[in-house]
Amino acid sequence: MRMLNFAISALLAVMASTAAEAHAFLDHAEPRVGSTVPTAPREVILFYSQNLESAFSSIEVSDGNGARVDLGKPRINAGVMRVGLKPLPPGTYKVRWQVLSVDTHTTEGSFSFHVGK
Amino acid sequence: MSRHLLRSLALANFIALAFTSHALAHCFVGARFLPATLATDDPCVADEMSMPTVTRVKTPDMPPAVEWDISGDFSKRITENFGVTISQTWTHIRQPDGTLTTGFQNLGTAFQFQVMKDRSHEFALLTGLNVDWGHTGSTGSGLADTFSRITPTISFGKGFGDLPDSFSWIRAFAVTGQAGYQIPTNSFDFTQNVFIPQQLVYGASLQYSMPYLKSEVIDLQLPEFFNHLIPIIEASFTTPVANNFGNPYTTTGTINPGVIWVGNYFQVALEAVIPINRESGSGVGVLGQLHLYLDDMFPTTVGRPLFGGTSTPPRKLTF
Repeated sequence: MRMLNFAISALLAVMASTAAEAHAFLDHAEPRVGSTVPTAPREVILFYSQNLESAFSSIEVSDGNGARVDLGKPRINAGVMRVGLKPLPPGTYKVRWQVLSVDTHTTEGSFSFHVGK
Repeated sequence: MSRHLLRSLALANFIALAFTSHALAHCFVGARFLPATLATDDPCVADEMSMPTVTRVKTPDMPPAVEWDISGDFSKRITENFGVTISQTWTHIRQPDGTLTTGFQNLGTAFQFQVMKDRSHEFALLTGLNVDWGHTGSTGSGLADTFSRITPTISFGKGFGDLPDSFSWIRAFAVTGQAGYQIPTNSFDFTQNVFIPQQLVYGASLQYSMPYLKSEVIDLQLPEFFNHLIPIIEASFTTPVANNFGNPYTTTGTINPGVIWVGNYFQVALEAVIPINRESGSGVGVLGQLHLYLDDMFPTTVGRPLFGGTSTPPRKLTF
């Protein structure tokens, strides 16, 4: 039992000591992944599980025809990345992102949201 | 050596081969995260450790013996696409009459090469050579063979995230599979007076990723615990295909339904072990594992390849 306690304690200590270093997963987004919003959002905000390296993280928002509707360079603060949007008419929009966490792991993903009823 | 013990040892060997002698890498392919699977291999090389993997099953004997296997494995990338795994299993078998057999099985190693990763199609392909080294375990107790087993293996993984958005929640499914041809270095066991067959070792998994559903398809705003779950069904089989004179060509294996909880630095998995026939075991067993992502825990030391730098060098990103 003492060995088990020691092993668990050591494991927890290791995890605590590395708490800022892992792949950055998308925790949630605004607008929510797969959601339908009644009015057009003015920006897309992505919340990650880890802090990001701003120089190597990016986001793109496009409409159903593939045309860019974001305003370009994202703003990144810690584990939050946001980008402004052009005025969006009702429709379906695709968000594609790729980020580098502070420990140099890259992750990527994409999702859609819908504007209108 | 009693017939009961022989069957117990055969089952122990099957479990060791099926559950512990292969690299259990966690795996990113595009937006898809394929967790470390327990009964089969997943299709990536990585820096990771499974410690421990615990299995409790009942042997096919009548009445059955109770077998515990406690194993660990350590996987290390040598280069970005080449990795090595070392695994070891300790086995404890209690016969109905109280007789105990305990000891280590043979040391297992796996040498694996990442053939490809197609990010856009969430497809990964891996080849490997698994070797269980003879005379490295408790040969005296019969738990370890005096000969080695060499198994060229191929593994793949495929996520369904590249389906059109109209497929909605179906896109969170993924499959993995593997097949290997196991060749023993001896063809005849003079102690038991039986041929040692060459075997086809194969398996697959079907998994449903709640993390993928939340981040790629639809955020249902479920409690956070559920967003870390990956329900999974694994299947693992062994079929003698050659040099099996005098023995039935019976396929043995298990179906393992279970669930994996995935965190940032580790995963915890629990599966039922359901034998597919009488020769594969008695009743339902259980399999549990704690798996550590060393590349996330120690990204600048043991979590990176020995040669070739980090797995994902920073680059300016373009779509």
